[in-house]
Amino acid sequence: MDNIILICAAGMSTSMLVKRMEAVAKEHNKDVKITAFPQHELTNYVGDIDCILLGPQIGYLEEEVKREYEPKGIPVEVINSSDYGMLDGKKVLKRALKMIKESKES
Amino acid sequence: MAGNSSNFNTNLQKYVAKFTSLKGVIALKDGIVYTMPVSLIGSIFLMIRFMPFTGYDEFMAGIFGPNWAEPLNQVTGATFDILALVSVMAIAYVYAKASKAEPLSCAFLALVNFIILIPAYINDAAGTAVGGVIPKAWAGGQGMIAAIIVALVTAEIYCFCNRKGLRIKMPDGVPEGVINAFSALIPALFTMTLSFIIYIIVKAITQVTLIEWIYQVLQVPLQGLSDSFIGCILMAFLISFFWWFGIHGANLVGGIIGSITLANSLANQAVIDAGETLVAGQNALIVTDQIRNNFIAMTGSGISIGIVVGAILFAKSKQYKELGRLSLVPGLFNINEPIVFGMPIVMNTRMFWPFTLVPVMCAAISYIATAVGFMPAFGAAAVPWTTPPIISGFLLGGWRAALVQIIILALACVIYLPFFKQMDAEAFAREAAAVDEDDDDDF
Repeated sequence: MDNIILICAAGMSTSMLVKRMEAVAKEHNKDVKITAFPQHELTNYVGDIDCILLGPQIGYLEEEVKREYEPKGIPVEVINSSDYGMLDGKKVLKRALKMIKESKES
Repeated sequence: MAGNSSNFNTNLQKYVAKFTSLKGVIALKDGIVYTMPVSLIGSIFLMIRFMPFTGYDEFMAGIFGPNWAEPLNQVTGATFDILALVSVMAIAYVYAKASKAEPLSCAFLALVNFIILIPAYINDAAGTAVGGVIPKAWAGGQGMIAAIIVALVTAEIYCFCNRKGLRIKMPDGVPEGVINAFSALIPALFTMTLSFIIYIIVKAITQVTLIEWIYQVLQVPLQGLSDSFIGCILMAFLISFFWWFGIHGANLVGGIIGSITLANSLANQAVIDAGETLVAGQNALIVTDQIRNNFIAMTGSGISIGIVVGAILFAKSKQYKELGRLSLVPGLFNINEPIVFGMPIVMNTRMFWPFTLVPVMCAAISYIATAVGFMPAFGAAAVPWTTPPIISGFLLGGWRAALVQIIILALACVIYLPFFKQMDAEAFAREAAAVDEDDDDDF
C-alpha cells in the first residue's frame, strides 16, 4: 500500500482534498493510504512515507522538506495550485502515484 | 508587470522560506500552537463564568450558592493565568526538537529559568510582601514576551552545549532516559547561573525582576503598537498581501504577532477579573486575538465569502459554478484555499485590491465599532478560528459583535461582486475552447 502525506498549515484544506482523493482511489481500486496534517506535525510522523505533497500556501517550505526527505528516497512536491484550489482529487492522486512510480524506478 | 511580479514572488518566497526556517521563528510559531487547547477549553469555563446577561450572577448564585464561581475560577486561573509558563516550555521544546536535541529537558530548563526571573512574592492588600507563591500576573499575560525571550535564549544555550558535545559522557548500555537527564546538566548549570546573575544585576539597576522589566520596556510598547488603528489595518493588509503571493499569510503574520494580540486579550481579561467594566479608550485594548482570528479572517483570509456568494448566485462559467459549490461549506468554517488557489486570487492583479481592501475595511469597522463602544472589547474567552462567523461574534460579544460581522460580510459581498463578474465573464468565454487533457480515467 502506498502512503501519501499531504501537508498544509493547519491540515484543514488538505483534508478536504484527501477526502476527494480517497474517493477517486476507491473508485479505481487503488491501494493507497492518504493522510493530511499540519506542517509542524510532519516531524512527529513515524512510519513509511511514499510521497509528500505540500499545499501551495506553504510552498516556501519545499526546499526544507526536500532536504529532509528526498535523501530517504521520498519524493516531495508542491501541489499544482489550480488543482489544489478546485480540490481535484483525481489529478492530484494521479500525480502522486506517478511520483511514487518514478521514484521506485530510479 | 507579470515578469516583475513573478520575480518578486520568487524572491518573496525565498525570504519567507529563509525567515520561517529560522529556528526561533519555528519555535515561536509552533510553540504558541501548544497554548491553543489550554486557552480554548479554558474559554468554555470562562464563558460560563461571565455570561453577558443582566442578573446572571444572581441567578447562578441562587442555584449553586454564593461561591458558585469559585470552581470555575480554579479552571480559568490554571489556563489563562499560566499561559506564559505553557509558552516558555512549549517554545523551548519546539526549538530543541527542531535542533534535534532532547526536547523535554530543554522545556523544563526554560521553565526553571523563567521562574528564577519572576518575582517570588506578591503584595497583599496592605502592601505586605507574601512569599511562597508564583505570581499569576507574571505567569500569564504580562509574562508573554519575556517567556518567548527566556525560552529562546535557554533553548539556544542548551542546543549549543549539545552541538559542542558539552555533556557528561555515559558508558554504553545506560538507558536513554538516564542519558537524556544527564545531558541537561551542563546547560542547566550555564543557564541557571546566567539567570542568577541576571536577576542580581537587573534587580540592582531597575529594582524589579527581568520579566517585569521586559514587560515595561518591551511588551507594553509592542502592545501599544499592535493596538493602534494603523497597527490593526496593517495586520489585515499584510495577511492578504502574503496570501496574494500564495503564502499562508494568516499563519505567517499570526505566528509573529499572535503572542502580542493574545497578551492584549489577557490584559483585558485582567481588567474583567478585577471586577471592572472594559471601556475602550480607558482600560480596554481593542486589537485582540479575537479581532485577528474571528473578524479579519472571517470565512478565510480576504473575507472571500463575497466571491463565494457571487459565484453561487451569478456564475455563468462552469469553473466558477463548481468553485462556488465546493467553497461554500469550507468558507463557513473560515477555510478558503479553494478560492485562493482555485479562482485564483494568487498573483491575480485584478483581485489584489478587493482581496486586500476588504479585510482592511473589516479591520477599520471592527476597530471603530469597539472604539466608540458599540462592540465590546474581548477578554480571554476565545473560540476556535474555525467557528463560523456570526456564531463566533455572538459567542464572543453577543448580538452587537454578531451584527458587526453581518455588516462586514454584506459589504464584502457587494465589493467583490463586480470583480467576480469580470472574472466569470472571462472564464465563460475561455471555456468554449477549453479542452482538459488530463481528465481521463487512465491511471
